[in-house]
Amino acid sequence: MFAVDQLSAALTAISHPTRRAIIGQLANGPARFLDVAKPHDIALNAVTKHLRMLERAGLIERKKQGREVMISLRAEPLRQVAGWLHEYERFWRERLDEFEQHFRRKKKQRMRKKEK
Amino acid sequence: MTMKTIEVRVERTIPAPPDEVFDAWLDPKTPGTPWNMGDKTLLNPHVDGLFYLKGTRIAHYGRFTEMEKPARMEHTWVSPNTMGEESLVRITFRKQGEDTVMTLVHTGIPDTEAGRGHDKGWKHFLDIFPEHFVTGLGK
Repeated sequence: MFAVDQLSAALTAISHPTRRAIIGQLANGPARFLDVAKPHDIALNAVTKHLRMLERAGLIERKKQGREVMISLRAEPLRQVAGWLHEYERFWRERLDEFEQHFRRKKKQRMRKKEK
Repeated sequence: MTMKTIEVRVERTIPAPPDEVFDAWLDPKTPGTPWNMGDKTLLNPHVDGLFYLKGTRIAHYGRFTEMEKPARMEHTWVSPNTMGEESLVRITFRKQGEDTVMTLVHTGIPDTEAGRGHDKGWKHFLDIFPEHFVTGLGK
């Protein structure tokens, strides 16, 4: 049961672009909170919220080093995600994303014509 | 011998009415359809009609088993990834206001290591990762 819950938590955690960006940053090595927050144009407490979700999913851990708290990436839950995601899951998601985008573009074009 | 199979389910909300979405899905010119990705495509979208798709590497075959415009369609799907077995793709289109909720369910996929495509899955999923990190994970 625990494994499934962790997988759900990991999937939720990586479903947000900011959190994926944070994961990408931490992939380069551990960082301090302010360094993690710096590249993002959002409030610090929003960054804290994102980090909390990543922590809950077991994707990051905080360690005290002297007076600083270093945040580092734990990749194991991502390995679970990759193992779970079947080739066809990926295939159909990509196809349907493109299909949906096509209709969204068409809708936008129609709206623009109406405005003229 | 019965093979363990898995099911894949993907749902999207498309901003158009069901009959338009249904027709677009069967048009090889529409981006995102399976028929839009091959170098060679043959498509006969009627019950018992066949399709053939050949991309750069592998070929997919299938036979349409249901065609109920605009509510649903169903076809088999055979490829090296299904180990030559006939898997089944069922797509339903449900009106929701001005939109269509499109649900694709692919069943009967043999659950193999190849299908899970660990390596490719990794690359795709973690394309935000520096290469060295991804390789480091494999240890």
